[in-house]
Amino acid sequence: MLRPTFTRTVWAIMKKDIATWFFLPASSLGTVLPALAVLLIEALLASAVGRSPVALVVLDSGRPAQHLAQSIRAADVFRLTETNQAQAQVLFRNLDVVAVITIPADFSHRYQAHEPDPVMVEVDNLNLDFTNDIRRAVPDTITQFYQAQGPSSPISVTVREQDLRRQDVELFQYEVLPAIALLLTIGGLLTSGMATAREWESQTVKELLLSPSSRTSLIVGKVLAGFLTTFALGLFVLGVGYILGWTRPEGIYWLSTLLVMAMIALLSSGLGVALGALLKRILAVLAVAVVLGLYLFFLSGGITVLAFEPVWLQTIAGFDPLTYGVHALQMAIFYSSSDLLGRDVAVLALSTLAAICLGILAMRRSLLQ
Amino acid sequence: MVSMLQRLDTLLRIIWATARKDMLIALSERVFTIVGVFLPVNVLILMSLFALGGSQAPTVVVMQDTGLYAQQLYAAMGHAHSFRLERADRASAAALLKAGDVVAVVTIPSDFDARVAQSQPVQVDVQINNLNTDFTNDIRRALPLSITSFYAGAFPHLVTVSPQEVDRYRTDTDYIPYLTVSVMVIAIMIGGLLQAGTAAAREWEHETIKELLLAPAPRWAVQVGKMLGAFLLSLGSVVIMLAVIIGIVGVRPAHWGEVIGSTLLILVIFIALGTLLGTLVKQRQALAVLAIGIALPLFFLSGAFGPISFDPLAVQVIARAFPVYYAIVLEQHAFHDFTLDPSGLTTSVLVLCGYTALAVALAALVLRRSTVRH
Repeated sequence: MLRPTFTRTVWAIMKKDIATWFFLPASSLGTVLPALAVLLIEALLASAVGRSPVALVVLDSGRPAQHLAQSIRAADVFRLTETNQAQAQVLFRNLDVVAVITIPADFSHRYQAHEPDPVMVEVDNLNLDFTNDIRRAVPDTITQFYQAQGPSSPISVTVREQDLRRQDVELFQYEVLPAIALLLTIGGLLTSGMATAREWESQTVKELLLSPSSRTSLIVGKVLAGFLTTFALGLFVLGVGYILGWTRPEGIYWLSTLLVMAMIALLSSGLGVALGALLKRILAVLAVAVVLGLYLFFLSGGITVLAFEPVWLQTIAGFDPLTYGVHALQMAIFYSSSDLLGRDVAVLALSTLAAICLGILAMRRSLLQ
Repeated sequence: MVSMLQRLDTLLRIIWATARKDMLIALSERVFTIVGVFLPVNVLILMSLFALGGSQAPTVVVMQDTGLYAQQLYAAMGHAHSFRLERADRASAAALLKAGDVVAVVTIPSDFDARVAQSQPVQVDVQINNLNTDFTNDIRRALPLSITSFYAGAFPHLVTVSPQEVDRYRTDTDYIPYLTVSVMVIAIMIGGLLQAGTAAAREWEHETIKELLLAPAPRWAVQVGKMLGAFLLSLGSVVIMLAVIIGIVGVRPAHWGEVIGSTLLILVIFIALGTLLGTLVKQRQALAVLAIGIALPLFFLSGAFGPISFDPLAVQVIARAFPVYYAIVLEQHAFHDFTLDPSGLTTSVLVLCGYTALAVALAALVLRRSTVRH
């Protein structure tokens, strides 16, 4: 009897699973939706980051008051509405503004007399996030008011800045890479997991078991099917980012970018096969895969900078392979740097190997049962 | 009168029979039922992780001068709402910055006090790990304002301008207690859509819908029965979530009755929408993908982080089209006594009731017009 070759079996399984994924909207949508949703929302909200809606009331027409008002306008930290006191209160009550800044009528007089010169700030302190933005931004505009006085400013202390990176990265650009990592993680988990579980749910596993193909070739085919679809999706999003000017690796850093993306896709596909073999139910795989993918994503810092997270979360992130994947992508794409690339690739490689072994073991065990 | 009572009795029996059937079937699918109960709780935990990242930049200060003015500057930085400070020597600070454990190193020079006392120019060095503009700009603003605050404290006759704050609410509400309430709404949505949607879609997948369509029972009674079953099954996850928010996160409701009433109303609306979705989609997989896929964008677009009026106009318009926004308004008032919508709570309740009625009516209509191919 002719025994199918290893590669032919792997290829056949891959083709079947990819075709199934493609023609089942549930599978393809479930893979793509979470990450695309995150990207869309980041773009939508990017303009509002850090700029709270504020009403400005200027009751003093003197020069110092006007200078302060100009500093507030020029600071670009607020979405400013200039109005009178009554209207400002209406806006405040209707939650159209977070705060009302009032430059009082005696501001200039007090300023020139070197008397304490308060600027009134009425704040809607619903939550600390918005409130602290205002608590930072108002003193910031006062600082700019003094800085605008140049050599005659009473403040002799200045700041000399040195940046570690040669360029800043816009926030929404920065968040594209975690979104790609999220897509690769959930994509691999879902695609491979659902493809594996489907065999049991539709009882086509019987045909697989009765076929003369080796178990290993079946499993490798499933892992590779998940890997290819996931990696292709990741490439697509990277390509869109490239066209929009958000994600543009240069020269050799294309290689490290693609390598890291491939490893994340393999890691998640291996885990997906393990999940599918253990749960054997598509719905259960769907729910668990999304939650697991999101845990891996948020525990690696999500779309924030890890240093801002609590220490316990930073410790956990050290054990999350996605942390290293996102770091490597950021260095390659934003800074054309291979800073700690060896560490990141080593962790990803070991994690990927472990995930594939887990997937193979889980599926072998389930096939034997 | 008697026939009306008999008819009512029959309808209630149909509703209860449908609900009981769905609950028994769901309980027989243990894995998915367990997942369905704990998935909303996991969503609550996950989205809360999102909020854990503080807005304060971890920063090291190298105090080459420990004089009075240097100490005052350090204190001013601590009160700037922008830094999570620690002190270190130069070498340690450089190592921390390189390792990514801090995002900025501020060095107060050794002649700081002397120069400030004599009104001579003095520079404070700051090294920033400028990963993204959001926090980098925060640091770029926070350090000068710390200097201004330092001057306002040390030389009040020189720097006289300062903010005088008046807060709308007596106490600040931390970010996590605020956000977890909004996240609970999203979690209830996912749980409700999944429980109700899968119950509805299952009938089509297993083709048991034929028996329902052939039965002499009003379609709306069948749908209400399905909703009741899903509602009772979802109560478990709702109780767990409330226990997590109240017992672990420590959010004490301002209005207990409102919390219970709002939560149940919100669950009902999403159960109704789930039943409608399941009847339309007819496939559990597609339904599950939709439910989870819809949740993430709605989390960001429904005023979960603060009043929707603070967001761009496009977001405000989108948010007001979905019941999630009104649900968040109700829950934030119930827990924190916040008024997030100037049109009032009654409007939000009416909108949600309207959505519920519409969903029930549409679900019945879709079921009435559905056919099954043999």
